Amino acid sequence: MASRRRMLLKVIILGDSGVGKTSLMNQYVNRKFSNQYKATIGADFLTKEVQFEDRLFTLQIWDTAGQERFQSLGVAFYRGADCCVLVYDVNVMKSFDNLNNWREEFLIQASPSDPENFPFVVLGNKIDVDGGNSRVVSEKKAKAWCASKGNIPYFETSAKEGFNVDDAFQCIAKNALKNEPEEEIYLPDTIDVAGGGRQQRSTGCEC
Amino acid sequence: MQEPELHDLSDDADYAASQQQGSASMMRSDSGKHSSSSEHDGAEVVYMKDNVTIHPSMLASERISGRLRLIKQGSSLFMTWIPYKGQNSNARVSDKDRILYTIRPVPMTDVRSIRRHTPALGWQYIIVVLATGLAFPPLYFYNGGVKEFLATIKQHVFIVRSAEDANVFIVNDFQNPLQKTLSSLEIPRALSVGSEPSTSFSVGEASVDENQERMSVDIQNDNINISQYNERQRQKAHDPARDLSIQVLEKFSLVTKFARETTSQLFRDSHSNGYGAIERRSNSLSSIDYPSQKASDDWDKVPDKSPVPQDPLEFDKLSLVWGKPRQSPLGSDEWFTFLDSEGRIMDSEALRKRVFYGGVEQKLRKEVWPFLLGYHDYDSTYAEREYLKAMKKAEFETVKKQWQSISPEQARRFTKFRERKGLIDKDVVRTDRSLSFYDGDDNPNVNLLHDILLTYSFYNFDLGYCQGMSDLLSPILFVLEDESESFWCFVKLMERLGPNFNRDQNGMHSQLFAITKLVELLDSPLHNYFTQRDCLNYFFCFRWVLIQFKREFEFDKTLRLWEVLWTHYPSEHLHLYVCVAILKRYRSKIIGEQMDFDTLLKFINELSGHINLDAVVRDAEALCICAGENGDACIPPGTPPSLPAEDGLLYPQQELDDVL
Repeated sequence: MASRRRMLLKVIILGDSGVGKTSLMNQYVNRKFSNQYKATIGADFLTKEVQFEDRLFTLQIWDTAGQERFQSLGVAFYRGADCCVLVYDVNVMKSFDNLNNWREEFLIQASPSDPENFPFVVLGNKIDVDGGNSRVVSEKKAKAWCASKGNIPYFETSAKEGFNVDDAFQCIAKNALKNEPEEEIYLPDTIDVAGGGRQQRSTGCEC
Repeated sequence: MQEPELHDLSDDADYAASQQQGSASMMRSDSGKHSSSSEHDGAEVVYMKDNVTIHPSMLASERISGRLRLIKQGSSLFMTWIPYKGQNSNARVSDKDRILYTIRPVPMTDVRSIRRHTPALGWQYIIVVLATGLAFPPLYFYNGGVKEFLATIKQHVFIVRSAEDANVFIVNDFQNPLQKTLSSLEIPRALSVGSEPSTSFSVGEASVDENQERMSVDIQNDNINISQYNERQRQKAHDPARDLSIQVLEKFSLVTKFARETTSQLFRDSHSNGYGAIERRSNSLSSIDYPSQKASDDWDKVPDKSPVPQDPLEFDKLSLVWGKPRQSPLGSDEWFTFLDSEGRIMDSEALRKRVFYGGVEQKLRKEVWPFLLGYHDYDSTYAEREYLKAMKKAEFETVKKQWQSISPEQARRFTKFRERKGLIDKDVVRTDRSLSFYDGDDNPNVNLLHDILLTYSFYNFDLGYCQGMSDLLSPILFVLEDESESFWCFVKLMERLGPNFNRDQNGMHSQLFAITKLVELLDSPLHNYFTQRDCLNYFFCFRWVLIQFKREFEFDKTLRLWEVLWTHYPSEHLHLYVCVAILKRYRSKIIGEQMDFDTLLKFINELSGHINLDAVVRDAEALCICAGENGDACIPPGTPPSLPAEDGLLYPQQELDDVL
């Protein structure tokens, strides 16, 4: 009989400096927002238990430094990712323009086995700022870009107010799960699969 | 002075000075062996050698020279080594150290063995191991005389060459009935050594150089009273000083143990080509992946529930006995004793040492930090510093005007400027805002942070601004409270740490690489563990290194750590030893809980605020001293904070486009 093991889903959050990566992560995991976060140096992660249907998963959410100069670190941190979250600030055009760079850089460094189908999710953050008056990237524009990149799911969020954060991460978790090969979910007790797996794609798990 | 085994020591200040001292206070004697004095209750000096020296650290200035003697009293032979007093060449050796290292008369019955080292280069030395297993630190014979020393011992006590190691001499004092009994119990061993022809121990040659040996018959000034020895033995149990001496002996023993293991490790490495890696540094540094070919081989050796391999340095004890206790911070009154009437710092090394061991009082930091950072020369006068301040202020304003004069219209067409400013805007408002110095809306100090960083990004346009710089500037501004002075001190700091922020991250990689090598040297089981776990990129130390532990300690502790590191005493790379010290402190947790890379990174990030600064600095000092030259060899040239090896463009042109 196969035993059911709790699975780890690894999620990487990328995006320009100051778009709110740390805040989104903390809002989702700890339901907290602070104005006094420090710029992330290196990388860190938080974990959260999530449940789908009758299964429990551990979502491991990686928060990385936003400055592109630190991108060369990615090799160490992106490895084994199941989903990549691209974040931009709806009030800063440059942060939206850079989404493509972040996406490409991730695919190079993480080198997933099937880059065409690797799950991304895009978040347009800080929609609360100035009542939306300082917004420079429209929802339409963002969705168009997402569509052009293979229908990437898109969410507009406010980490400060907690708006849409849970929904976004539900989707992120679901997509991360989709990325997981089936055979890592159900593990026979006696077989060591530590070296196996990643090459094959899931066929049966359509969440 | 024509000792055949002496190498050219003329450039060694210690040696020259001790020679001088020697000729002033000592007279030559015709005999090295039989010169005697019987002034002390029938005690007879049967051997005496000057300029026998111990090396408590790798610093030549801390070596302690002294006089080694064998003294016979009745049927007992005692060994003693007394450091010279008031030796001007060793002004930096404190009296405390002298007392600490002094070897009061030890009966040969307490000695188990003497190991002789005759390196091809450098001085011969011996390590005396006591019956308890403890050992004295290596005694270096600057004037030769090891053979004679052993020959003299042989004349008075039973001593044989070890069958296992020709350089080890086992001491058995048959005058002591207890020792005799113990020795007779070890019959097989005794037989095997005993059967060795005594001619293999070539005492005959010992007298060859004796005419050149200088010998003093003057022992008046040394406070030895062997007749009190037995009395002291009886009191020992209740003598608090005994505890201290035991600690000292343990310290010595650790050093000996370490020396042995390092030697064997080096031997292994030179055969397994491990050290070749350092020579291939330039290649390996360009790659951030250090393959772990050993991982698969070693994997099956790791049991499921993993026992933690013993720390080869017995680290807990090491830190206890090696690191000197921290002193109180340097205060104003004491600070002025370092200055001459015109404000020059008379002995910068003494100052750096003082700051290393105690730090600086907060209100004095403003004075001291500019020296530590290299902004002020130690030999500058008050007047020169005032002049510099004025000149530098004008220069700062000039650079600052360069960005201040960019109008909003111009900025619209100047994307790089807007982006750089945008990064700084974002970071200064999230730098140390919980400090009252930086808190609140429209805090002027936050604006100063912004202006200094933006000015720096024009001063060094190639490097520009990078995250982490605001963390490095914040304490400097907090301490100096002056825009221009803070700017220039920051410039000096960035001369050392700039490579941390290079696009290619070469400064970071060379430091992380050096940590890898240092852990391999100082804790090979931990290194093996990291190898198995594919953790050799040491990215979990990234934040520590990038911003000098700024996020790992409370603000005031960071200030203390930085001034300690900036002394570059005892090494300019002490921060790397701090990394090793922290890892070693938690090694049993890391290995015992079988942490993988993710868990380790998380664990280390969460150590923030929980690291004992004083303990870690003590440990780091101990590790640095223990590692000595082998440690230096782990650190590639030009590794920050060392200044770049070659001149020229710090930041190659092809990178400029990427560097915002």
